[in-house]
Amino acid sequence: MIDLKILFDAIVEGKLEPAVEVTKEAIKEKIDPQILISDYMIKAMEEIGQRFEDGKAYVPELLMSARAMKGSLELIKPLLTGKKSATIGKVVIGTVYGDLHEIGKNLVASMLEGCGFEVVNLGTNISADQFVDAVKKEHADILCLSALLTTTMVYMKVVIDKLKEENMRDKVKVMVGGAPLNEAFARKIGADCYCDNANDSVARAREMVAGA
Amino acid sequence: MKTNSVDWINNIINQKEVVNFPLMTNSGIELIGKKVIDAVTNGEVHYEAVKILAEKYPSIASSVIMDLTVESESFGAEISFTDNDMPNVIGRLVKDEASIDALQIPDINTGRMPEYIKANKLISENVNKPIFAGCTGPFSFAGRLYGITEFMMGMYINPDEVKKLLDKCTDFIIKYCNALKAAGSNGVVVAEPVAGLLSNDACKEFSSVYVKRIVEEVQDDSFAVFLHNCGNKGQCTEAMVYTGAMGYHFGNEIDMVQALKDCPSDVLVMGNIDPVGILKLDIPDEVYNETMDLLNRTSEYPNFVMSSGCDTPPRIPFENIDKYFQAVIDYNKKL
Repeated sequence: MIDLKILFDAIVEGKLEPAVEVTKEAIKEKIDPQILISDYMIKAMEEIGQRFEDGKAYVPELLMSARAMKGSLELIKPLLTGKKSATIGKVVIGTVYGDLHEIGKNLVASMLEGCGFEVVNLGTNISADQFVDAVKKEHADILCLSALLTTTMVYMKVVIDKLKEENMRDKVKVMVGGAPLNEAFARKIGADCYCDNANDSVARAREMVAGA
Repeated sequence: MKTNSVDWINNIINQKEVVNFPLMTNSGIELIGKKVIDAVTNGEVHYEAVKILAEKYPSIASSVIMDLTVESESFGAEISFTDNDMPNVIGRLVKDEASIDALQIPDINTGRMPEYIKANKLISENVNKPIFAGCTGPFSFAGRLYGITEFMMGMYINPDEVKKLLDKCTDFIIKYCNALKAAGSNGVVVAEPVAGLLSNDACKEFSSVYVKRIVEEVQDDSFAVFLHNCGNKGQCTEAMVYTGAMGYHFGNEIDMVQALKDCPSDVLVMGNIDPVGILKLDIPDEVYNETMDLLNRTSEYPNFVMSSGCDTPPRIPFENIDKYFQAVIDYNKKL
């Protein structure tokens, strides 16, 4: 019988190849995919997330763990087709109109994807209409808005107002982030939450999906 | 102006008063009625913006625009410009070892480099303060060419490939710094913000080793290197100090007193008033209080230099800038 602790360790250590190998073995042994996800993969991401919070791991280590988890998850996904648990939730993410910065937004997208969310990355310079259309089309659970500039962060409110206009506000949670933002700004514009780093975004996204 | 950097730094450390060296150029662009795009594409406009700030405010030295796209543009990266915000690198110029191998180190006269060198020359010749040029640090520069997310994963997946790109970026930065030195600059602020996302060991291996090479090649009595890392929360100060720079510039994420403890006492340690949360968005009285609070907390350290935590953004209220400088003046009066 395969030792699934190897899967946990591989994801924590950010090692794609052993994570994929052990997942293949687990599939051969017909281990319940939901057990792989819940008891090993998500727990491994929680462990690396905790290390990040404790200052024992940094952004590159988070990205490597997310990459290893994504590699395993890709193998498991076909076995989950049609089940609610195929993904943790669906996220639409983008940098708001007028802003072409994408470093932070891409970090968050990679982490969310690695942690089991289905991510639709719209890119940069995205208008309110584009965001709202994507939320509708993708039936997104969460909309993530990013901005690096003090001049463009105010556009986040335009997006949220557009969601209200379209009667979509209660259908999607709105997460905001970016260097000049803070919690008070997020509250002021009517966002559901503010995240100050990629790891935080995963934890908050999980909370929001669980509470939805 | 010509000055001996070592003597200049020693004078700052030995004098009783705290000196002020904010990384601030956008406000100068506004004072001369120009747009950001004018200053980042025209050395004379850039010079005029720095000159008016040098005349208006009692900063100890002048700095230039922290533009983290100039070097990438010279290598061929696509750059987006807007009227009133800093330019930005679009997409990835290199994606694999073959494209890194094919990447040619450009001539120093490529892209907007000549305009930046011209700005430094004009400031050096016409402003009666030391001028600190700017360049992008090797890790932040290479990350912009390769894609930051991919570059950070590349550190684990293919470190040799990553280091090959870092080598090319470092060679180019050295060429650029030598051109800035020849233009009369008294030093350079090497902006390495992305390295602040790394552990101390990774910062040392993938950033500091390369910055150290730059320091060894360009730093001398007439030209000081200041290493700026506004992403460092305190975990990689040791790696920064490993570079041997004559000064370290920190962002608002770090405990400034701890940074002072972690740096040698014979180098300048600069920081770290939040350029957005405080300087731009706070009310004037709070700007004054925050600046005074930082001065009081760092009073035991003669090598502390008051500064903004990063290059200040456009459209900071001038009342806030006045209060920031006034706090330092008032603090020094009481000494």
